[in-house]
Amino acid sequence: MSIFKRMFATALVTAAMSAAIVHAEDLTIGALFPMSGLNASYGDIFSSGANLARDHINADNLIGGKLSIQYEDSQALPQQGVIGMNKLVNVQKVPYVLSAFTGVSKAISTIATRTKTVAVNGGGVGPDLAELGPYFWNVIPLANFEVRAIIPYLVKERNLKRFVLVYVDDPLGQSVRKEMEATLPSAGGQLVEALSVPATSQQFGGIAARVRAANPDVVYVASYGSQELQIVKQFRDAGIKQQLVSYSAFSIPELNALPEALGAMYTTQLVDWSSNDPVTKRFVDDYKAKFNKMPTAYIANYYNAVRTFALLANQLQKKGKPVTGENLLAQRIETRTFDLVGGKVTIAENGTVVVPMQIVEIDGKGGKTVSSAAPK
Amino acid sequence: MLLLQLLINGLQVGALYALIAVGFSLVFGSTRVFHFAHGSAFTIAAYVFYYVFSVAQVHWTIAILGATAAAVLFGVMLDRFVYAPIQVHEGSFFTLFVASFGTAIVVQNLIGVIFGRSFVSVTTPLSRSIEISPGLFVSPLSGIAIVVAVLFFGGLQFFLMRTHVGMGLRALSENPELVRAYGLSPRRLSTMVFALGSLLVVPAAILSAASSGLSPAIGHHVMLISLAATIVGGVGSLRGAACAGLLLGMAENLALVYFEPQWSEAVTFIVLFLFILFRPSGFFGRAIAH
Repeated sequence: MSIFKRMFATALVTAAMSAAIVHAEDLTIGALFPMSGLNASYGDIFSSGANLARDHINADNLIGGKLSIQYEDSQALPQQGVIGMNKLVNVQKVPYVLSAFTGVSKAISTIATRTKTVAVNGGGVGPDLAELGPYFWNVIPLANFEVRAIIPYLVKERNLKRFVLVYVDDPLGQSVRKEMEATLPSAGGQLVEALSVPATSQQFGGIAARVRAANPDVVYVASYGSQELQIVKQFRDAGIKQQLVSYSAFSIPELNALPEALGAMYTTQLVDWSSNDPVTKRFVDDYKAKFNKMPTAYIANYYNAVRTFALLANQLQKKGKPVTGENLLAQRIETRTFDLVGGKVTIAENGTVVVPMQIVEIDGKGGKTVSSAAPK
Repeated sequence: MLLLQLLINGLQVGALYALIAVGFSLVFGSTRVFHFAHGSAFTIAAYVFYYVFSVAQVHWTIAILGATAAAVLFGVMLDRFVYAPIQVHEGSFFTLFVASFGTAIVVQNLIGVIFGRSFVSVTTPLSRSIEISPGLFVSPLSGIAIVVAVLFFGGLQFFLMRTHVGMGLRALSENPELVRAYGLSPRRLSTMVFALGSLLVVPAAILSAASSGLSPAIGHHVMLISLAATIVGGVGSLRGAACAGLLLGMAENLALVYFEPQWSEAVTFIVLFLFILFRPSGFFGRAIAH
């Protein structure tokens, strides 16, 4: 073998070895968040939690190398989500993808299953998300739990019985409607009108007239992003004085700061931000130091999603196994319970979490809890 | 009562759509540039008004002036530094469209970076509806929108019909060479069209900021309405675009009497489809088939 051939062979082996070392140490996960369009503000919120977790993991050297997150813009649209997912899975070869929004999550779930890539949702709440196969996990309680938590409170404790539902015409909105139709009669309430709106709709003055004509006690809004803010503002401007209610999508800072939203109520998972458990305390302290405000459940969810990955990757590395989607799933089933923000969280066999809920009233100061409920 | 309420809502929305559509129709009719960034002029004006009035808390007249200056400057700069160089070298319809589309995306992202990507709105008592009779709610902004639309459209008609420059602008769409033969500069007239088109979108932008709120992506909806109204009204017909804007706003709201709200946006396209099928020249427009 000539000197050049030997040098070439040595270089090849060295390159292969160093590539293998880099592969073993540095890990990349993907994230499909809306970074543009009507729901872009959610992308900022979700990524703030994911990035904080990444920083903590890297500071703790939890995975033995550097963790990075490759973001793709889903625009909260299924089609864009599938494009981003294909890029993450086929080009970036990530084993783990953070997902958001019910429509996007449902669209990418088949790719996740086919390619054995774990997809973790921390923002979409459509109940169908519990049935998307073993590679699709949820670290957020789904909308059926949210609807079940607030309806008995409104009917029995507030004596509000006539409901109008204004819902976005997508899998999330449709599932909320289905849940309300199932839950309201047994609770003693009545769904007097259900009005679906297109996801792109921006004018709600006319719909406000339909709502007023139905003479409800409660107007339940099942939308998200800019649209839900527009609905609240335009409904209040149009003279709707009835109780406005929604699910965890209302927990965004813009809505809490909107004067027209004062008095509106929403459900969200119960997180004790003052807890002394080390993970929660570090998360809250560092988030407040970085952003000068309190975190929300969404931010905690994506922190937890990234932290779950790191904990699983750490366990796999200790066993000498590669960090693949298949191994992450097997390890999750084995570990079951994780130390996350909010305390110990158990991921059920179907990849969902069940946590206590709280009902929050918007008071312009970050919201006040008016009731809490055990999961049903 | 529901019908009357929806009629009033339709008038307000229609007035805003008319203002939006007339600007686009003027630009497209005069220059044949598919000015997709028309929605960006709307977004810029709305955000500047929001910032000056709500964040900096400056008097509303200054905020309106600021919004107007920003929108007009945007239109003029776009014509001078983006469209004009393309027209010199090639000037194909598609190239100009792509340039305009790209500009709209850049503006949307810049707005997001500068003002944040979340929803913002201008809080004013003028957007709060008053119950003028049992079950009938009207906000002062509805009246303002209708009055402003009538005033702007009347002013525009006067300008185009009675002034020397206005006549030049109308001639520009017919025969630019003839305009040059008469000693006028098509390039300067084109810049004026963009300034005027951007100016026309300002009242709708300000009223939208107060009535429905803003997000950086709002320009796409504006473009959708502009395009539909321009086709329904007849390409090149300002009167047609204004009437079509009004028709689309009314149709969107009155459809709620009979259909689910999810169909209200589809009504826009049904109207558009019907016009394309049965009256391709639009309300008052000229047939565009050559």
